Amino acid sequence: MVYAWTTNADIAKVAECGGAVTGLLKFALENDIVDGVLAVKKGVDIYDAVPTLITDPAEVAGTAGSLHCGTLLLAKLIKKYLGGAEDMRLAVTVKGCDAMGIYELAKRNQVNLDNLLLIGVNCGGTVSPVTARKMIREKFEVDPNDVVKEEIDKGQFIIVTKDGEHKGISMDDLEDAGYGRRSNCRRCLMKVPRQADLACGNWGVIGDKAGKATFVEVCSDKGADLLSKAVAAGAIATGAANPKGIEIRGKVEGAMLKLGNKWRARDFESLGEGKERLQKIMEDSSRCVKCYACIENCPICYCVECSTKKPYLVPPGVLPVPFMFHLIRYAHVADSCVNCGQCEENCPMEIANSLYMHSLQVGMEKMFGHTPGVDMELPVLALVEEQAERERLFKTGEDQIYNVFK
Amino acid sequence: MTETNGKLRYVPTTCPYCGVGCGLNLVVNDGKLVGVEPYKRSPINEGKLCPKGATCWEFVQSPDRLTKPLIKKNGKFEEASWDEAYDLIASKFTETYEKYGPKALGFQVSCRTPNEECYIMQKLARVAFKTNNVDNCARICHGPSVAGLSLSFGSGAATNPFEDVLNADLIFMIGANSVEAHPLAARRVLQAKKAGKTIIVCDPRFTPTARLADHYVRYNPSTNIALINSIMYWIIQQDLHDKEFIKNRTTGFDELKATVDKYADVESITGVPTERVKEIAKLYASAGNAVIIYCLGITELTTGTDNVRSLGNLSMLTGNVGRPGVGVNPLRGQNNVQGACDMGAYPNVYSGYQKCEDDATRARMEELWGVTGLPSEYGVTLTEQITQCGDPIKAMYIFALNPVVSYPDSNHVMRSLEKLDFLVVQDLFMTETAKYADVILPGASFAEKDGTFTSGERRVNRVRKAVDTPGDAKEDWQIFVDLAHKLGLKGFDFNSPEDIWNDVRRVTPSMAGISYERIEKPEALHWPCPTLEHAGTPILHREKFSSADGLGHFFGLEHRPPAEVADAEYPFTLMTGRLIFHYHTRTQTGRAEVLHYEVPEAYVQINEEDAAQLKIQNGEKIKLRGRRGEAEAVARVTDEVAPGVLMMTMHFGGAGSVNQLTNTALDPLSKMPELKHSAVAVEKIAGVQ
Repeated sequence: MVYAWTTNADIAKVAECGGAVTGLLKFALENDIVDGVLAVKKGVDIYDAVPTLITDPAEVAGTAGSLHCGTLLLAKLIKKYLGGAEDMRLAVTVKGCDAMGIYELAKRNQVNLDNLLLIGVNCGGTVSPVTARKMIREKFEVDPNDVVKEEIDKGQFIIVTKDGEHKGISMDDLEDAGYGRRSNCRRCLMKVPRQADLACGNWGVIGDKAGKATFVEVCSDKGADLLSKAVAAGAIATGAANPKGIEIRGKVEGAMLKLGNKWRARDFESLGEGKERLQKIMEDSSRCVKCYACIENCPICYCVECSTKKPYLVPPGVLPVPFMFHLIRYAHVADSCVNCGQCEENCPMEIANSLYMHSLQVGMEKMFGHTPGVDMELPVLALVEEQAERERLFKTGEDQIYNVFK
Repeated sequence: MTETNGKLRYVPTTCPYCGVGCGLNLVVNDGKLVGVEPYKRSPINEGKLCPKGATCWEFVQSPDRLTKPLIKKNGKFEEASWDEAYDLIASKFTETYEKYGPKALGFQVSCRTPNEECYIMQKLARVAFKTNNVDNCARICHGPSVAGLSLSFGSGAATNPFEDVLNADLIFMIGANSVEAHPLAARRVLQAKKAGKTIIVCDPRFTPTARLADHYVRYNPSTNIALINSIMYWIIQQDLHDKEFIKNRTTGFDELKATVDKYADVESITGVPTERVKEIAKLYASAGNAVIIYCLGITELTTGTDNVRSLGNLSMLTGNVGRPGVGVNPLRGQNNVQGACDMGAYPNVYSGYQKCEDDATRARMEELWGVTGLPSEYGVTLTEQITQCGDPIKAMYIFALNPVVSYPDSNHVMRSLEKLDFLVVQDLFMTETAKYADVILPGASFAEKDGTFTSGERRVNRVRKAVDTPGDAKEDWQIFVDLAHKLGLKGFDFNSPEDIWNDVRRVTPSMAGISYERIEKPEALHWPCPTLEHAGTPILHREKFSSADGLGHFFGLEHRPPAEVADAEYPFTLMTGRLIFHYHTRTQTGRAEVLHYEVPEAYVQINEEDAAQLKIQNGEKIKLRGRRGEAEAVARVTDEVAPGVLMMTMHFGGAGSVNQLTNTALDPLSKMPELKHSAVAVEKIAGVQ
């Protein structure tokens, strides 16, 4: 675990916290360690996070800085638009949910993890762009167009205006008032994605390095190799991490995890138990209009033949959509749900999809001991080799993917 | 993603389907569309999309796209060069104009096309051929809204934005199945419901939207005026009307009161018990802020304009106009139905509803356009143009419309088109209508051109080009520029849609402040926006109404039955309806795999009792027979419609085309045909079990 910062003056100028991440991405691209960089850059303003694929090292600096309104999930984009990184070596900046999503897709042979270099960044959560703008107007009483920078630090959402004014309000207050982070982010326990090759971030950077360096935790041989090469080439400078800083980093992470657990308890309790919970889920999901956004955006869903499109399971073209549609999703996804929140955030009918799926996942994790998204361990009963398994089921007449009850 | 590497990039744009105007990202890889991704930055839909929006990229690259101009020779279409096609069109239209005059030409514009193209087409018609025979398909959806709200409030557009329903205490929806027709506007209603607001839905059909209601009122089809009059009677009777508002801001209350006095008990007309009406009246009038949302169940009738004015009456009676959380909002069905009207693709107004009949306005337009002799008369409307085919209309230009499927009485439409000497159809696909053309011009989809769509909340949203047109197909605005040059017209030297938009701004005071630069961010601007400093106008009629006297106008309106009612020979009342899975005549949505999977053919909802009596099974194909034709559809046996009432899908052509049955009878004020009400008989098809 080291402190690191870029040696490139141009990156240092635009970057936050020393620009180690941007520097590492640029180094990887320049030195043919990867063919492309998948990261996020600013679109029309700071509330608009746009994924970008970069192949020209000169453009990497454009992705410097963090955008907390970036509620994207990069994992599925790699599968959908970049051929699962099958023919392309990609460096990807990942939040916890991105990393978890990539692992789940990798288990199902939908992305090639060998071709991915994952640069993890610690993440305390993200705020949807429209919510952020509303929150800034209504709670901060600032025109959101006048804000040049936002950050989440020490439990506060902090904005900086074009006049250089700083204003912070505690996340707890904002969230109690219905603003703040997405609900899945509140429940998230993947604050530092150590399943990535490197886990970077500013939590615990103290002393004269505060704001000028990034913590880098080396999590894999691939990560170690990148860092040592970058250091050897002089692209990145490192220094020993302050032991006190390491301790603080642990404390920040611990506090975030505690908060995540608090939200889990609160959200899951609100669902009730047993039949009451089922009733609530059935009622809420009865508004479904079959946009398929929950499936399209889910990092677990990848089947070519989706069971929700089997007319004998879910009759086509019928509203309200029979509950079987949602049962299929729960059955196929719940053990592997990584709580990325996309199914809920993109639902036009305001169904708390992510909350339901996550509550099921947490329950199953307790029962079966399987934690999704952290390593390559296969899930309990999900369809992993879809086509082959469908064939086997068809041939044998079985209806069990795994005989878990044997 | 960004344009940096020329490969994968995101292009933020506006959905090509309903009038909500959702933002979305088209994903482009190597010059090809590969998908749609959420545009979470959009304040309209926050990245969320309905089934149509999510798949809106699929039809763009369909192999069925028209890619070359086609000229019909000896009954067969042959590929032609653009020059040949332009020359033929220019000579035929000029010839017809010179021989028969301006009344011999008809121009029809689709509401799915951007503002810039609606504007340039009407400019071309008026400048080149001195005709006001130019209309758009708002005529058959919200023409009565434009007419009715103009009469009541002085402006024919929605009063308040979609999101503003969150400021209401009560939402009154009538004749609107927004969950299917405007899903992301329905989401706002849903959010309001979750926040504890009261939802009333009046609809003959227990729709997915009705399922959201706290109070669902089923009433007999096409009895809107009676129902609303009775609600108003009971508001006045319970002394819940807003006397202050009526006194200060309106005129005509006495006339209204005298009329509604006759509507205490309307159960025999509407089927709604008086106690229920009284209860709804109390709920609506007692709410601090109450908003009205309506749609085609109100407009697509021969009483359309009066139905709309009745809602104007209701809102003014309770002072629910001119502030957040109130108002009267028609939900516009097409992406640019608001804009097509705003742009003056309308037979009696120029852009911004500047009246052609007004001498000063006409003189001003002549000066701005650099022409003389602009016509003053009210031109011929959309379906009337069809009726006039052959006499006096000899040549017609149909831009991106499919009348054979979408206009009432399809057989009449087909017979009429055959009577034309010359027909131009400019479209994406070989539609049912294109087959009747003499020249077909291949145009561009929403993903292949820049421009703007104005959504139902008067928000002017950017449309951005993501990919090139296929083959020799051209961006439609370019086709009109080329034609104008062939015709030797001045004032058409446009090099981009932005150039055309700036011409719109130059001649349209209410849009002058809306530059492309100002609508780069998805907040965009709501018109009226007269200057570059103006912040736009999300809510209309705040201080005073937009009418000439600044007042809201009450009208005493009587219930009238539809033109064709069920009788012994045709015992069923047939309504039409829109599905969440399709857009209009399916030329676009029918080419999206999942949408076609969901609903591949026409269906008709029939009540369980009727089905039992006629021995019709759920899923069985049945025949509907009416005075003008017959159609086939799959029966969906349900209790969502009352006995004696049918609802058939509006999207399909061929045997499943409901417009073989619909009525061409017109609303006298708006010329809206009675699409939502006709009488039919139901028959089993021989051999079908």
